[in-house]
Amino acid sequence: MLDFTQFLIGLLQAAVIVLLAPLFSGLARVLRAKLHSRRGPGLLQNYRDIVKLLKRQDVRPAAAGWIFQATPLVWMGCMLLIAVLIPIFSRQPPLGSIGDLIAVVYLFALARFFFALAGVDSSNSFAGLGANREMTLAVLVEPVMMLALFVVALLAGSTHLGVIGEAVAGGGITAQAALWLGALAFVVAAFVEAGKLPYDLAEAEQELQEGPLAEYSGPALALLKWGLAMKQLLIVALGLAVFLPFGSPAAFSPATLPLALALFVLKALALYSLAAVVENGMARVRFRMAPNAIWVAFGMALLSFVFYLAQV
Amino acid sequence: MSVPLLFLAVLVYLLGGFAALALNRVGKAAQYAAGLTAVAAAAIALAAAIPILVSGAVDVFETPGVLPFANFAVRFDGLAALMVSVIALLSAATGVYSLAYLDAYAGRNLGFLGFFTNLFLASTLLVVTVSNAVYFLVFWELMALASYCLVTFETEKEEAVRAGFLYLLIAHAGTALIMLAFLLYFYHGESFDFAAFRLTPLPQPSRDLAFLLAFFGFGAKAGLAPLHIWLPRAHPAAPSHISALLSGAMIKTAIYGILRICADCLGASAWWWGLTVLAFGAASAVLGVLFANAERDLKRLLAYCSVENIGVILMGTGVGMLGVATGRPVLAALGLLAALYHLVNHAAFKGLLFLSAGSVVFRLGTKDMDAMGGLARRMPWTALAFFVGAAAVSALPPLNGFVSEWFLYQSLFTASGGHLAAVRASAPIFAVVLALAGALAAACFVKAYGLTFAGVSRSPRARQAQEAPLPMLLGMGLLALTVLGLGLGAPWVAPVIGRVAAGLIGQAPPVMADGVWVFPVEGAPALLSTPLIAILLLGAVTLPALMAAVFSGARAGRRVDETAWACGYNYSPRMEITAGGFGRPLRAIFGQLYGLGARAARPGRATARAFQGLVALATRVEPAWNDRVYDPIARGVQGIGRRVQALQIGDIRLYCLYIVLTLAVLLLIATRW
Repeated sequence: MLDFTQFLIGLLQAAVIVLLAPLFSGLARVLRAKLHSRRGPGLLQNYRDIVKLLKRQDVRPAAAGWIFQATPLVWMGCMLLIAVLIPIFSRQPPLGSIGDLIAVVYLFALARFFFALAGVDSSNSFAGLGANREMTLAVLVEPVMMLALFVVALLAGSTHLGVIGEAVAGGGITAQAALWLGALAFVVAAFVEAGKLPYDLAEAEQELQEGPLAEYSGPALALLKWGLAMKQLLIVALGLAVFLPFGSPAAFSPATLPLALALFVLKALALYSLAAVVENGMARVRFRMAPNAIWVAFGMALLSFVFYLAQV
Repeated sequence: MSVPLLFLAVLVYLLGGFAALALNRVGKAAQYAAGLTAVAAAAIALAAAIPILVSGAVDVFETPGVLPFANFAVRFDGLAALMVSVIALLSAATGVYSLAYLDAYAGRNLGFLGFFTNLFLASTLLVVTVSNAVYFLVFWELMALASYCLVTFETEKEEAVRAGFLYLLIAHAGTALIMLAFLLYFYHGESFDFAAFRLTPLPQPSRDLAFLLAFFGFGAKAGLAPLHIWLPRAHPAAPSHISALLSGAMIKTAIYGILRICADCLGASAWWWGLTVLAFGAASAVLGVLFANAERDLKRLLAYCSVENIGVILMGTGVGMLGVATGRPVLAALGLLAALYHLVNHAAFKGLLFLSAGSVVFRLGTKDMDAMGGLARRMPWTALAFFVGAAAVSALPPLNGFVSEWFLYQSLFTASGGHLAAVRASAPIFAVVLALAGALAAACFVKAYGLTFAGVSRSPRARQAQEAPLPMLLGMGLLALTVLGLGLGAPWVAPVIGRVAAGLIGQAPPVMADGVWVFPVEGAPALLSTPLIAILLLGAVTLPALMAAVFSGARAGRRVDETAWACGYNYSPRMEITAGGFGRPLRAIFGQLYGLGARAARPGRATARAFQGLVALATRVEPAWNDRVYDPIARGVQGIGRRVQALQIGDIRLYCLYIVLTLAVLLLIATRW
């Protein structure tokens, strides 16, 4: 069942995510600057940052142990694996038989586990707090995400990402209201998960999202920054694959590749722009307010589930 | 062949136990006698169980025995074999581990400890294989009493004695309920054999009653919320390898009881049974892990986490029972598979976690996580063992905890597709509860590993700790390899456990794996392959390593700073996050569940309230129902006990009077009727 072509397609997907991720995070920075009426950095600034950091010296505190050193690699490894498991160039995931929707959600959890532990391991007090917040946000976000995705999977009849994409794009889903409410709940949860305002400000060094990163420097920091950009892009890609697979080809073929890639970039562009507008239209609020937004998202996911039960 | 081997294992346990007792004066010899016989008996028990697991055969043995009304019957089927292997595995690991670990208790009654440990293990083996209710209760009671002696081994610690008493009380309340369930069967079928139970045509109200009695009776022993209260006190009070046995093996026998009575004998005949089990399981899962998050005592944290995992196992059991009741054999097998898989997994990783926590306690002499930190440098192998356990209990792929929770998700997914409205409407909600419990467990074990092994050492003893001795590392290594095997070997383990699950409800073994892939239902697309995830993950990790190596090269170099950055202030280890700090946001979010809200609402002046809040933060957060529900019950029982004491004055003449009076009353009754 694991054939070589599929494996190559998977590698291609991973390569695209790796190469495009800094572009999209750069785009978010450009959009933010424009909305603030600043000139801001160029679109390619994040590539330059990563290359620069890769050449820098690696500095770490004496107390930092093996978790601290392994985390950049594990994080990147998880993101690469997720990039292979979700459908990007077509409605079918290249290696979907290795992991389904649930496995993808738990691979994000694996990356987060290391990330938070690295924060504690760095022995920096900000990093420790940041790690705590990271895990608390996960407690709030993961159930909502799971419910929204579970409803879609129920509508499609399987947790296989390809089957879901096929059902949603092929119009095989009768309960449209349930689908779209689920999508909305997923978007809210994903927004929080991606480390955006109003609970996080990833650009501010002393803010706690940056927390687990506080002691990283040089190549390790470069890998983590790159990996965080990949995570944002992968969450967008997961949302696209599950809720908006429209237009992507039913199966992979070399002929449709350019079109599929262009479509993916366009959809992601639209979502990033939307996210930028929402994010910059909001004030920074205290972390302990986070449950409020999550309750709203949970309410939406629950409503979507009720709609699924009523089949509307 | 399997039953004689089982008896041999029991015999070896008992011989070892008595040898330890005889050698009590020579502490070290007693320690070795008990530990080595436990390992040998475990090997024999495994040799008995594995052929049955592999072949799917059933081995039975029956003899009239000493009691006139009950046969001594042993039935070694798939479920029994699975339980026996779990017990044997833990017995082997803890047996090796205890060879060095008990040095910490040198000069104490190690002979007694060894005797009760082996007695406990032997009775546990018999509990899960015997198939007559009377003998089941006898061994069940023996197991409870032996474990009580183990919990209260450190008699000078008042905490341990009180925990032991509470445990004894709740265990016996549970046993009373189980006894009633068995008597109900005897009343209708006039036999105590489990085989006869299966054939007894109970009327439905009696069935419902028997289910409730058995579920709550065994539930009390399993640590089901809200009957869990004894568990986080009793398990950590015992020496660490005993904690591993209690959390890994003993509470599983209660799950075995629920499966045997509710699913096997009673046949799960009403759909609300499954839903009840599912609901109580879900409540245990969330509450257990929430309380675990508030702990700063490492072993209590692990014990609360056992409540969570019992909940997860019960959720699978509930789905399986729903499948039986609604006539969906595929669903039934899937749910029971998830439950049994998680049962085995929990035994492996919780045993591992308790043993590695025990190594830390062995070296540091404290269970307080705020006095640990940075131990990964001092005790690298122990840290690695704990890390494997922590990642597995947090359900991270590709380890075993993830595999069983994945099966549970799939079973809940399948359950959602049924016709029963109550199940359709609740199954996805239970999936959300499972996701919540999983995320909370991850948070909890980031805290547990992070504060214990990562970062900077926060006490002088932590700075000077040494790696645990070799026997202890071997014990942990055995369990760590089991955890890896159960996770990465999922495509080969799942069919074996699937056959046990199907055998329990009299179905043909389901097809759940093909090559390196597993899938929930036959014909569904392949959905998961943990070996391939592991291989790809390893491959994917090398890529960034290469990237970093290529770019940075040799000229950049490395620098290690003495301390972390502290905003320009002088760094101090006290700046690091503490156990209390780690649980803080969750306590704020789930305050209602912790019962903190009720405490804050107490009338009083503002300063007093503020002080109370401070104290409440500084001390451990206790679930509010401890003092509201259990203490009154315990006080009530003690009060009754004191009143009953009035009958016993110690005067022999009075006792003779009692006997005469009783005889007179009995005679009166006998002559009247």
